[in-house]
Amino acid sequence: MAKRFMLVSLVFILLLSACSSGGNNTENATRHTDNGNSSTNVSGEKEATEDESKEQADPFGKYAETITLNYGKEVDPTDKSLPEGDTPENNQYSRYIKEVLNIDTKVTWQAASGTNYDQKVNLAISSNDLPDALIVKDSQLRAMVKAGQLADLTEAFERYASPSVKKFMEKTNGVSQKSVTFDGKMYAIPSIQVQSDGVHQMWIRKDWLDKLGLEAPKTIEDLEKVARAFVEQDPDDNGKDDTIGIAGQQNGGRLYANFLESTNNTYGLDPIFGAYQSYPGFWLKNESGEAVYGSILPETKEALAKLRDMYANGLIDRELGIRKSASETVTDGKAGIFFGPWWMGYGPLPDAIKNNPEANWQAYLLPLDADGEFNAHMGAPSTLFVVVRKGYEHPEAVIKMLNLLVRDESTFDISVPIGHYPLRVPMSYTDESEYSAQALREVLAGTKTAADFTDPGYKLLAADIANIKKVKKEPYDNLDIEYWDPKADEGTWKRAYSLLVGSSSLTQDYNKIYSVLYSQTKTMESRWTNLKKLEDETFLKIIMGAAPIDDFDKFVEDWKRQGGDIITKEVQEHVK
Amino acid sequence: MRNQSFTKHYYIMLLPGFIWLLLISIIPMFGIVIAFQDFNPGKGFFQSEWVGLDNFEYMFALNDTPVIFFNTVFIAVMKMIGNLIVPLIFAIMLNELRMMLVKRWIQTIVYLPHFLSWVILSGILLDVFSYTGPINTVMTFIGLDPILFFARADLFPFIIVASDVWKEFGFNTIIYLAALTSINPSLYEAAAIDGAARLRRMWHVTLPGLRTTIVLLAVLSLGNVLNAGFDQIFNLYNPLVYSTGDIIDTWVYREGLLNMQYGLATAVGLLKSVVSFILIIVSYQLASRFANYRIF
Repeated sequence: MAKRFMLVSLVFILLLSACSSGGNNTENATRHTDNGNSSTNVSGEKEATEDESKEQADPFGKYAETITLNYGKEVDPTDKSLPEGDTPENNQYSRYIKEVLNIDTKVTWQAASGTNYDQKVNLAISSNDLPDALIVKDSQLRAMVKAGQLADLTEAFERYASPSVKKFMEKTNGVSQKSVTFDGKMYAIPSIQVQSDGVHQMWIRKDWLDKLGLEAPKTIEDLEKVARAFVEQDPDDNGKDDTIGIAGQQNGGRLYANFLESTNNTYGLDPIFGAYQSYPGFWLKNESGEAVYGSILPETKEALAKLRDMYANGLIDRELGIRKSASETVTDGKAGIFFGPWWMGYGPLPDAIKNNPEANWQAYLLPLDADGEFNAHMGAPSTLFVVVRKGYEHPEAVIKMLNLLVRDESTFDISVPIGHYPLRVPMSYTDESEYSAQALREVLAGTKTAADFTDPGYKLLAADIANIKKVKKEPYDNLDIEYWDPKADEGTWKRAYSLLVGSSSLTQDYNKIYSVLYSQTKTMESRWTNLKKLEDETFLKIIMGAAPIDDFDKFVEDWKRQGGDIITKEVQEHVK
Repeated sequence: MRNQSFTKHYYIMLLPGFIWLLLISIIPMFGIVIAFQDFNPGKGFFQSEWVGLDNFEYMFALNDTPVIFFNTVFIAVMKMIGNLIVPLIFAIMLNELRMMLVKRWIQTIVYLPHFLSWVILSGILLDVFSYTGPINTVMTFIGLDPILFFARADLFPFIIVASDVWKEFGFNTIIYLAALTSINPSLYEAAAIDGAARLRRMWHVTLPGLRTTIVLLAVLSLGNVLNAGFDQIFNLYNPLVYSTGDIIDTWVYREGLLNMQYGLATAVGLLKSVVSFILIIVSYQLASRFANYRIF
């Protein structure tokens, strides 16, 4: 009997522990506890009462006594750039903020960039356990405003924002201002992004093109031809059939940018859709001025049919949507073409040329549509938002930090990525990349000098011009990789290559298609997950041949019936 | 067993487990009120708007609901069966092994995967089953066409079940091995004297000796009918296999945490818990009837 009981208890305990391993590991991001808060709060309150006046305060004013700011941080797990001894919490940027503003920034928790960080923020929102400040997305901002979790920043922004920051805001014609204003109050500091973040271009291995005697593909037919050559003619000369024509999104990635996440969709297939004048995931206006959803239009079906064809012929990465890391195909020298925005010089290209210094990645606004035009869907100017928890004593601290970032970004050593600057969101004129690329070309050509570019709003341009010749070798008008010297100054090279190679093409004319809406409507809150699932599943299945192309028509019907029609009406109301 | 002084220390040994259960499972249970609310985290449980059964009505109106329930049950039941039979066969085979050293080694090696998390194992599995991975290399070598395993909705549930059984069978074997030690060796001797060979002894002594344990494990696992394994599926699935791989837990994750529809996600979770609870009661009744197993 004793033995029997023991056995039964053992079984029971094992079962218990087996069940437990299932669901309870949501809290897996690192947590730092710090008790340094209590002492600093007292001095902070005193100071807050001291400058109660309404007039403009010093945007860079140093706190008399150290204040503490706890924030949640997004970290890139593959980033190894921090010098020995530095941490995401304590690095050159946080020390600079401490020195200049006397703000002690502490990382409450950190999470890997992308889905992990979003999830962590969502958990913080749902458990109402917020650090003092966070960077959030549009849907999160809305949820937090609705939940009454955020500090009103209207007055702090008015008093503390530097003239440059205010000017950036004005340049978006009130779009950025509107995105953070709810009932007349400002609840966040929006990022003000360069528009080039939303334009996805074709990045292609020019050394492969040259070797095979090909030109950069102008049309979809050309693109197929080139991709086929990349797949079949062993451009990397290793005797193995292991090259990929066009790289595709990784597991959890996006096939195309959408109205909610409208920018920076590296490894998507956006330009191919664009070549069919199809803008899936975007809200468009039809001829009669009504709002329609791009994913359900016939142009999208046409684009999908072509993609399906290309996939079947092995021109697109076979492991589209399944691969754990899409960037590996580029850094390992397997892929010959991928689509991404202008800043690829910051990543993945540095790793790609480290592995193979001859990998000559060049960017083009291609492929063109039947009328010979390049069509790009454009992003929202503000997609990230810095928010401050309600009840935090120094809401102006985040504004001061952003002022400082805008003023001194050009002096930083960016071999440590600027993402390590606490609560950094991009802030600049929306045309900064194109303008800077043009300026650099003119300076290199000798037609203009640094003295011709005086607007301090282009905050990095002076440094760009001063450093460009460190990394760009002659001839200056040839941008092939052999005429660059990345090792001379990697930080400068990343930016200069991104600008000259990635942004030069953006100075030419192309069709800019804007979504009529960049945020969620009421019904979307409850229905969008399902509609999105339907869309993701159907499109990927069609492309990869797991479903016939005519499933598209069924998708359109289902989409409309399962809430799409109601949502379209709401969007219609919104744009009126 | 009725002797109080004899059993006391077992209860003390169970205490840490019960404290854990209280903190992690019982107390958070009050959160189920969210299922009946339009939950607003800023207002909390007490001030959020009460919407009654709205969340449940919407849940049943969704086209997805039957699919994810079916997927969950299908995967979970297959896992239950696999996790019952494979360890049983393995334990009996291991028990017949007479070289202790080899036996210990095998036992240790097969239960190592149990200690790896799915986050790590999923990376390994994705590589092993990838287009250029070892399995497809072998398949091309013997003249078959390579298959993109994780793009095949028809194969996905089976990959999930097989990999889960592979990960856990070593650990589950321990339970059977424990039960095997409680079989009286004199039964084997008696059978041997009566002229029973190895297979006969297995059939007439080992299996009957394990019968209660088998029934008990089978019946107790009924409570897991709706647990198909979030960690595993979440790390392995992609939109191509939603139709057969999307389970309640992954759906709740996307709806609740990513889309912040707390009310709806909690309602689905609550429904799952209610069904599981009923199944646990049924399984307890069955266990007490067929295996003479009682907790109280």
